[in-house]
Amino acid sequence: MQVDIQSLETFNQLAYEGAEQATAMMAQMTGIDAAVDVTKITLMDRADVGEELAGQPFVGIQFGMEGVLNGDTTLVFEERCRDPIVEALPGGSSDGDMAESSVKEIGNIMMSGFIDGWADYLETTIEHSPPEYIEATGADVLPSADGVGSEQVFVFKSHIDWPGEDLNFYIYMLPEYTEMAEVMAANADTQSDAIPVDKLSVFNQMTREGTQKAAENVTAMTGIETDAEVTQISFAPIEDVPKQVDSKSYVGTVVEFDGTPSGYLSILFDETSAMNVAEALMPMEPDGEGFTSMHESAIEEMGNIMTSGFVDGWANVLQTSVEHTPPEVVHDMGQAIMDPLAAQVGQHQTHAFIIESRMQTDDLDFSCEIHALPDDAELKQALDDLEIERKDETEADVEKIF
Amino acid sequence: MKVYDGSSGTSTESQQERLKVGIAEYEVTTSGANLTTSGLGSCLGIAMYDEAAGVAGLVHVMLPSADEVDDTNEAKFADTGIELLVSEMERAGASTRHIEAKVAGGSDMLDFSQNGSGIGVRNVEQVEETLDSLNIPIVSQDVGGDHGRSLKLDGNSGDLTVKSANKGSQII
Repeated sequence: MQVDIQSLETFNQLAYEGAEQATAMMAQMTGIDAAVDVTKITLMDRADVGEELAGQPFVGIQFGMEGVLNGDTTLVFEERCRDPIVEALPGGSSDGDMAESSVKEIGNIMMSGFIDGWADYLETTIEHSPPEYIEATGADVLPSADGVGSEQVFVFKSHIDWPGEDLNFYIYMLPEYTEMAEVMAANADTQSDAIPVDKLSVFNQMTREGTQKAAENVTAMTGIETDAEVTQISFAPIEDVPKQVDSKSYVGTVVEFDGTPSGYLSILFDETSAMNVAEALMPMEPDGEGFTSMHESAIEEMGNIMTSGFVDGWANVLQTSVEHTPPEVVHDMGQAIMDPLAAQVGQHQTHAFIIESRMQTDDLDFSCEIHALPDDAELKQALDDLEIERKDETEADVEKIF
Repeated sequence: MKVYDGSSGTSTESQQERLKVGIAEYEVTTSGANLTTSGLGSCLGIAMYDEAAGVAGLVHVMLPSADEVDDTNEAKFADTGIELLVSEMERAGASTRHIEAKVAGGSDMLDFSQNGSGIGVRNVEQVEETLDSLNIPIVSQDVGGDHGRSLKLDGNSGDLTVKSANKGSQII
């Protein structure tokens, strides 16, 4: 099954417009002027969906969809959004049952806007079930992933923020994979820039192996036990790429890689993690306070070895050669690190694939994000050339590198 | 006139409306709102202010020229983004005869030299050229260097606060 880039752009735009429509409905009812921040399509393990919500309390309104798209859509509000939203509703009250029914009412109207946009575009009807109200922590606000853990799914996720109040809410649309892939393929205009959609998930598996090896390497070098966490491939407008990273300060490395595919790769640690990982690498106590030049060279070394593992892992599986420049150490606001990379890629394309991995550890404050921005024509070429059986070779080959 | 000093949040300050400007977006205010944008690397923020009309605007552009990529989002490019912001400010009552511009961002923190001049430098050059063609003066700027920036334009005063991760903040 093939999905062309044009249809990914179209579906991304549909999800964005749906989120805009839902936000406009809320504004009409409550006067709350929120804005859609990011909309992206992500292909990832079902079990990892909502991982970014971990630990926070949410209120969710879930809907089942039936028709050309089957699946679930959930409107997720940060719990502290609930009362201000309900109180902004004429006649709304934040007391118990009243609050629940007010949130359901708002959710229902927002969702109708969201789903109608899709149905209009697909020239069909999509029914949605009555809203179900859920209060839960983290990903439990989304439909349960029990029994479908390692299945790959498309997630359409929009992040909406309400700047005056610093509150956030999200729309997660989780269509059944096969039907979604069929709808996308049916809406493909051309075959010329088609992406073999089945291979995108293979690519995810390769990336996971590469991340795992990079994580093992961190452990070998520093003694810090890490786990490779979420690995996903997303598709978003180029201007949304820098927003994938928080605006807080990060330390890390950036390289340009060249081959099939070429592009940019950043390995980013939050400041505390960077200090921890750098000090674990140092043979002696650093001279001076804070983040010293010794820390910087330790991060450079770490970035280099992690990059090599990651990029060489792809190259071996794809049986192509991918070179990379020496790492440049960066220490700045996360978005400001990503925006020059997005701008470079944005000179040739309006949307981009973003390959993301995260690793972390429970023992110590340590987390690391890897973001790769491949050129989309070359990524397509790499996927075209990929024989699915070859993904198993990643493990052996990455081991050879280290 | 309220002046934002970047450190103390007075009660008047906290009541001032804040509008967030994302990448490849713009906002115009006639009510003295604070217009903010964050995480400028090679991107550029162009703040414009017409004191006489009480109109302020901010656009966050990513690439120099709309001629380079086939994209309908005018606010993404320095040339079309400035033209768009100026026309929206004019609709809100501003006049190009009175508009003054402040520019910040366009750093070259990453050197991928085989691509010629960095995008940050080219963004700055394009902004200067487009503003010049519209006869809008750049009254202050904080561009280039190798660090990221976040901006806050006070719609009441036209003061532009530029904050960087490692170099503190300043009003230009």
